[in-house]
Amino acid sequence: MSRSTTIQAPGLSSYLKSLRSTPVEASIEHFISLLKRRQIRNSRPCALATTQLLIQVVKEFKGKDADKLLRRIRDVGRRLIAAQPREMVVGNIVRRVLGLIREIKDDDADADSNAVNSDAGSPTPHHDSLNRPHLASSISTFSPLRHGALPPMDTTSGPESLADSGELPHRPALFSSHTSYAPLGTSLFGLFSQPDTPSNTSTPTGRHSPTGKHTMTASALERIGESTILKRTNIKAEVLEGMNELQDELEQSDDQIAANALDHIHSNEIILTHTASTSVQKFLLAAAKKRKFTVVHAEAHPNDHDAVHATILTGKKRDAEVISEEAGDRWKPLTAAGITVVLIPDSHVFAIMARVNKVILATHSVLANGGLVAAAGARVIASAAKVHRTPVVVVTGVYKLSPVYPFDIDELIEYGDAGNVVPYDDGDFVDKVDVDNPLYDYVPPELVDLYVTNLGGHAPSYLYRIVADHYHPDDINLSGAVERDEK
Amino acid sequence: MGPKGKKGQAADKAKSGEVEREDPLQAVILADPFETRFNPFTLERPRCLLPLANTPLIEYTFEFLANAGVEEVFVYCGAHTDLVDDYVQRSKWSSLSSPFSKINTIHSTAQSIGDAMRDLDKKGILTGDFLLVYGDVVSNLPLESALAAHRARRAANKDAIMTMVLREAGTTHRTKAQGTCPVFVIDPRKDRCLHFEQMPNREHNKFLSIDPGLLSSYQELDVRQDLIDCGIDICTPDVLALWSDNFDFQAPRKGFLHSVLKDYDLNGKTIHTHIVTDHYAARVRNLHAYDSISKDIVSRWAYPLCPDSNLLRGQSYRLQKGNIYKEQGVILARSCIINRKTVIGRDTSVGEGSVISNSIIGRGCVIGRNVAIDGAYIWDNTRIGDGSSVKRAILASEVSVGRTCKVEPGALISYGVTISDGMTIGGDHRITRAKRRREKNEDVERGEPNIAIVGQGGDGFEYLDDEEEDEDEVVEGLTPTGLIYNLSSLALSTDSISTLNSNSESDISQEYTQRSASGSFVSIDSVESESGHAKHFDHDAASSIYDSLEAGHESANIQLELTSLRMSLNASEHQVRRAVAVAFVKRVSQVIKSGVEAKQAVAQVFDPHKSLLKRISFDKEEAAKVDQVDFLLLLQKELASREKGDIILLQASMKLYQMDVLQPEAVEQWWADAKATGTEALVNVRQKTQPFIEFLENQSEEDSEGESEEESELE
Repeated sequence: MSRSTTIQAPGLSSYLKSLRSTPVEASIEHFISLLKRRQIRNSRPCALATTQLLIQVVKEFKGKDADKLLRRIRDVGRRLIAAQPREMVVGNIVRRVLGLIREIKDDDADADSNAVNSDAGSPTPHHDSLNRPHLASSISTFSPLRHGALPPMDTTSGPESLADSGELPHRPALFSSHTSYAPLGTSLFGLFSQPDTPSNTSTPTGRHSPTGKHTMTASALERIGESTILKRTNIKAEVLEGMNELQDELEQSDDQIAANALDHIHSNEIILTHTASTSVQKFLLAAAKKRKFTVVHAEAHPNDHDAVHATILTGKKRDAEVISEEAGDRWKPLTAAGITVVLIPDSHVFAIMARVNKVILATHSVLANGGLVAAAGARVIASAAKVHRTPVVVVTGVYKLSPVYPFDIDELIEYGDAGNVVPYDDGDFVDKVDVDNPLYDYVPPELVDLYVTNLGGHAPSYLYRIVADHYHPDDINLSGAVERDEK
Repeated sequence: MGPKGKKGQAADKAKSGEVEREDPLQAVILADPFETRFNPFTLERPRCLLPLANTPLIEYTFEFLANAGVEEVFVYCGAHTDLVDDYVQRSKWSSLSSPFSKINTIHSTAQSIGDAMRDLDKKGILTGDFLLVYGDVVSNLPLESALAAHRARRAANKDAIMTMVLREAGTTHRTKAQGTCPVFVIDPRKDRCLHFEQMPNREHNKFLSIDPGLLSSYQELDVRQDLIDCGIDICTPDVLALWSDNFDFQAPRKGFLHSVLKDYDLNGKTIHTHIVTDHYAARVRNLHAYDSISKDIVSRWAYPLCPDSNLLRGQSYRLQKGNIYKEQGVILARSCIINRKTVIGRDTSVGEGSVISNSIIGRGCVIGRNVAIDGAYIWDNTRIGDGSSVKRAILASEVSVGRTCKVEPGALISYGVTISDGMTIGGDHRITRAKRRREKNEDVERGEPNIAIVGQGGDGFEYLDDEEEDEDEVVEGLTPTGLIYNLSSLALSTDSISTLNSNSESDISQEYTQRSASGSFVSIDSVESESGHAKHFDHDAASSIYDSLEAGHESANIQLELTSLRMSLNASEHQVRRAVAVAFVKRVSQVIKSGVEAKQAVAQVFDPHKSLLKRISFDKEEAAKVDQVDFLLLLQKELASREKGDIILLQASMKLYQMDVLQPEAVEQWWADAKATGTEALVNVRQKTQPFIEFLENQSEEDSEGESEEESELE
């Protein structure tokens, strides 16, 4: 680092560097202004920055009360989301962290109620959805298996879960489990037996009757307050550990996705892709190690074409962040792996679609209904693929999955610099014509055939389950949750 | 210069690089551009706090600096210092989480940018390279490349003192300066700016005078007038030193840039340009620019500087289709129509049947029923009554417009004005409640309402500014006619640009209406001068004499320099005298300021230069002492605006008389000259000289009887 550091504009790398040395409150404000200034943008940088920031927030957090920590994280999260609501990843990460804290808290509660009520009550079947957190207590929130323990949906989604569970063994282990990684057998057992019999895998938790529940919880909560101080002196350490795993997930998700590549890309296929997404590049590169195929790359003019060109030439975005540099040798262009890459303008997508075997799309964020928000042009491609019955595969990390339903599509789409479309120099044009430059497209779920995440492949209609697995229902609406909590 | 001076040496490079990293990037915001273009609004608020798309202008500047990675910011205030100070203190930029490690407001009494720069030089707070911007810059430019280029040039040659960041913008562009048209002559191979001229846009004969030497010594020259000069300069501390050396510079472009480029042979300093072709950069330099930059922001040309970026704390704008931005809590009646490119702030309510398009409306406004608003800028807490229409006008905060009023395109209505029902406000009206007191501290007071304009029960009166009566500021900006006029003359200007001639006269003191030109050096009568070259003489000669006086050079040397300057620039004798008068007066008042008595000061300055002073008049033998009278007049005019001018005038005329530079007849002729009593100031300044004249009159009577002795008696 020579003197270039002085003149570096603020961005992700400088932000991450500054995080350790600056007080948390200043870091939060700093991140907010970077978000507003769009100096940190796109899903991965936002996710990394949010995670790092929240780690600092937790580290700085004084006290041992999980509820206070929850409230603190939620407050910070609300401010971050308000700064740039269209970077939904920020909200996702906040919700994941909240879920993590809730899980640890519930673990405590379990342990606590275990201690207190170990001899009390007889097992009652718990259909009550309110029991769900307790049920899940022995399984990591992030475990792909946890969907099996979701009572409200079980009856309707049985077959799906079944089908999905077939894939389970292939899934990469997400975490070096600190929380008890549920043994597969018991989990499956729980999956089937759970609707009518109490799961014997879960620790005997909600044995109180539904009627007495509220008082019970209230008193239990009080005791939690005491007992956490006594026993869990270190809720913070656990949360931090969980967050480090979350960070690992962010860093590994591309590789984990790429591990699925050979299942989806076959020899001599013609693959169409769009934008300079790192996930997609890694996915294609992984497949290119074993197979020969052709890639048709739509250039995503006018917002991403420079990055696309750079990716095709060097395998790396020109403005790639420092973070990814240690992986230097992995950044080979596809052409170096012997793949034919054809660059086409966006307007040629429909014409060439007839010859394409598969469309692989990157995404900005994925919505709970199975639709996605992706770089502008994605919808055109997806629609063209639909006409030609070409399968559309969306490659995404689970962290991009948002518990948001697209009620108002305009709210999701960011409009960018009009100067990218028409040069600002053109005075007449600027004066007389309104120019719009949407950065994103909304692609409805019916245009997507498959999502490949770091957990495996999923149908769009299945995403709501993953959402339910990853986010606590109380966290979905962050601003609303506070009011409810404070009552 | 510090560590950067050494950079040329390869051995030192690594080390100085180390040092430089420690150097935080500094920036100076000139919060007050010392202009009156935003009157009447700037009577009550400083320009940098006027809202642009409902966000104070200075916020955009801060954003830009934060974006560029600036660490230390100095806000240089002129008028309304307390308001700026207060704002900065309360803003997020001085909070703990601010991206700036230091943010200071500098109070000053400067009357022009030149004064401000010299003041900054004296303060010595700027240690390394710094950014000089105005408090009204709107830009999303990343500056890394410009800074890197600047530093590379500095490393290669420490005379590269400044880099101007310019935005390319075609031949016609709404955001470009409309009144005048800056022309840059650039050596494209080194990005060096060779010549700068500010062309007035109004006249149809346009000439650019380029030194023929430039044409012969450079293979390639770009003559460009398609650049938006957004006032972003990357400067080295040498720039400040240059400002200090040239005490007569007032304006950064026309004064400083023009002269430094012209004096390249003398000082060897080079100024470079960094021309960007993407990103957004502009300055809200006048109301026209206010209009077009507002449009740019709403249409997202300045992305991410858009209303929905919510730059300010507590803003909650959201974008809807068609570039409509609404904050939370806007109350719209069911039947009102909000058209494209509209911004509406919180708690504003719009009544039934109203139509709003292309407008920016602040917070807490109340807009009645069946109101038509088009292309208007309405600031906070304004009320507009039922059935009124507002088109392409600016309504400041707390304005109240009655029912069925009509505000025509171009009208400017300042803070708190009340218009009663049924009035029509013409497009050439500027209505205010504040009146500037002519006294020093620029305070404002309330004037009496003018019922003919605001109607019965209204409040406010027509704003008149005698300083800029002749400039058509009134129509500039929002009215369509002004725009068309400007554009057509702009188009004409492009044809005649390469004609080499030197009729670039009127550029000084036209663009920059300084709030006070009294401190200025060349300001006296510089309009009289005959040609472009001669004009240069004024400033060159005055400054060279002044420098020599200060350095205590010999009279003969000064004489030689003066003569050569006169010859080379074909200046008239009158101009030589003016230069001499200006320089001597300047020097004398400087000496007096250092605590010397007026009489000693005059003696100290004048005594060594008898021969020089004698050589400026050639009418000893003639009866009508035209030259000597001229010199006295010039002295008088120059002194009229100075502190203790009257005493200096008395002492100087006595001294000159003693030195035999002036003959008694000349003094008497001067006393009788009508020009010497032209204005009140002139009369005032010569009051103290009265006894001297009386003495001379007596003397001349005695003279007829016997010669001499006057010298001893004068004491």
